[in-house]
Amino acid sequence: MPYAITIVVLFCLGLASCASALDMRELIRQVETQYRGSSAQARVSMEVATDNWRRTLEMESWSLGREHFLTRILEPPKEKGVATLKVRKEVWNYLPKVDRVIKIPPSMMGGAWMGSHITNDDLVKGSQVDEDYTFALLEETATSWRIECLPKPEAAVVWGKLVYEIEKTRKLPVRIDYYDEAQKPVREIIFDEVREIGGRTLPARMTVRPLDKPAERTVMRYHDIAFDLALGEDFFSLRTLKAR
Amino acid sequence: MLLRLAFRNLWRNSRRTLLTLSAMVVSSALLILALGVFSGMFADMLASVTEQYHGHLVISRPGYQDDRNMFAHFVADPTLIDELRSYPGVRGASPRLRAFGLLAHGDATRPAELLGIDPERETEVTSFAQQLIAGHYPERTEAAALIGSGLAKKLGVVPGDDLVFLTQAADGSLGNDLITVSGIFETGAGNRDNALVLVQLPWLQRLLVLPGKIHELALTIDEPMAAAEQAASLKAGLPADLETRTWGQLLPEMQEVIASYDVSRLILVTILYAATGLGILNTIFMSVLERSREFGILMALGMQPRQVRLLVLLETLILALISLILGVAAGIVMTLYMQRIGIDLSPYLSAVTYAGGTLAPRLSAALDGKNLLIPATALLLVALAAGYFPARRAARLKPVEALRED
Repeated sequence: MPYAITIVVLFCLGLASCASALDMRELIRQVETQYRGSSAQARVSMEVATDNWRRTLEMESWSLGREHFLTRILEPPKEKGVATLKVRKEVWNYLPKVDRVIKIPPSMMGGAWMGSHITNDDLVKGSQVDEDYTFALLEETATSWRIECLPKPEAAVVWGKLVYEIEKTRKLPVRIDYYDEAQKPVREIIFDEVREIGGRTLPARMTVRPLDKPAERTVMRYHDIAFDLALGEDFFSLRTLKAR
Repeated sequence: MLLRLAFRNLWRNSRRTLLTLSAMVVSSALLILALGVFSGMFADMLASVTEQYHGHLVISRPGYQDDRNMFAHFVADPTLIDELRSYPGVRGASPRLRAFGLLAHGDATRPAELLGIDPERETEVTSFAQQLIAGHYPERTEAAALIGSGLAKKLGVVPGDDLVFLTQAADGSLGNDLITVSGIFETGAGNRDNALVLVQLPWLQRLLVLPGKIHELALTIDEPMAAAEQAASLKAGLPADLETRTWGQLLPEMQEVIASYDVSRLILVTILYAATGLGILNTIFMSVLERSREFGILMALGMQPRQVRLLVLLETLILALISLILGVAAGIVMTLYMQRIGIDLSPYLSAVTYAGGTLAPRLSAALDGKNLLIPATALLLVALAAGYFPARRAARLKPVEALRED
């Protein structure tokens, strides 16, 4: 009888750990795709402050799953119509002033996207964190989980470690800390201003801070999101990219 | 009296004297030529390194040359540039603005370095205008780009094609514009040919939203070997918030080439003169041995050993001075000939890139005061040292024994 109990307890523990591993992966996937759904259209403003300048861009963006993403600048007038298309691992920029499309070469994927603290790599790899990392629960409090993500050996990623802090009740992200390969913290993203957008409860503000430059930051604000639209893959084409 | 005696002694066995003399003349002349060729190679290389990109001196904000921070710019003050250009020892000054970004043509995109220049001023500092393999060097106001051969190949552009350049401007906006390729250059240095594009300064200033600003002033000077001294002399006329770097600071590997050059020069001088010194020693010893009896008579007649020693030393000194004059003269003539004509090695060698400089397959020479002074001094010292032992021997002769010899 005691054996049976032990076996049952062990089995339950095993199940529980399996379940929590699955949960964490699913949780991270949800966090990473919270603004996307199966498909989405959003109005976003992006405020970028650096040591030398500060500016705000108004943008409209579309997404389909995690592989397709298109965004176009509405304001300021100088950059109106500048657009970015991401399909799977590739990124293109459209420049209306010269009416040309530029494909970002692999060597430049680490470069800033639209002058912000978000890189082209973030656009491509951010959406597949659940596939590239392994997860472990670092800490559980009454209100939140802290999940440590370590890259899988074969994953081609730039970070050495990610730590997600996720609020338990609404399963919403509070912050993400990014560590480099030497396990030194280099960037943080903070989520706040939780409200209802497009029928879902989401943090409307996302603040990205590079830790080596404390005065710099990029703030993304989601104004409207419409989820689950009828967008096909053909929408995410170079032709749409160039349409003004 | 001793001098006359010394002269007379030398010409008594004129064949032996002439032989020694010729050995000394030939060795010093050849040494001067060898050092001249060395200097010539070195000067060619230095010119190719500095004319390829930096120039001899670069004036910029402190630290700009280390991190190439776009915001470390300064005003392109025309009076400052004119003052620099008319400064003694300065041959030319070129204002430049630099940007890093993406260059695209058709489906191809590559990272590139854009250097905004004034085409006319730039020819005073670098030799891009002579390194074109296609197209033409841009006119003063033409909105055109010169692109490195490797980059042109990767992007698939020929003169007349349009390029798109995309970068982050100084106000954070996305600077982007089209520019037409006017020519393609090839310096032989991969890092330039594969990444560098020269454009008009005003065009790049507009794109980066940095009106009237530059990142650096590149200078060429008359005496590149005295770049540090020239930089110090310019300091007074420059605003306090600008620094001057020399080519040696910008190209540390060239500094090492100079150091190794100085060492090889020393080794060459030592080897040649060790051989020459032995020749002189041999000749003078022989003549002293042959003349034992004679010295004995001189000493018996009342000549002091000191005077005998001086006599033999005078003989070697005369030999050394004559060969010095002839040797240096011959050396200068040969060096000048090499400098003027040179030897074409292109059938046997192709151009060699070393320490960022390109060595052309041509042997030429350069005349440098140091290359005359070192062999001349060394020749005198070696001759005196070689003369010392025979002189000592002559002075130590015992008159009675010496007279009995033969």
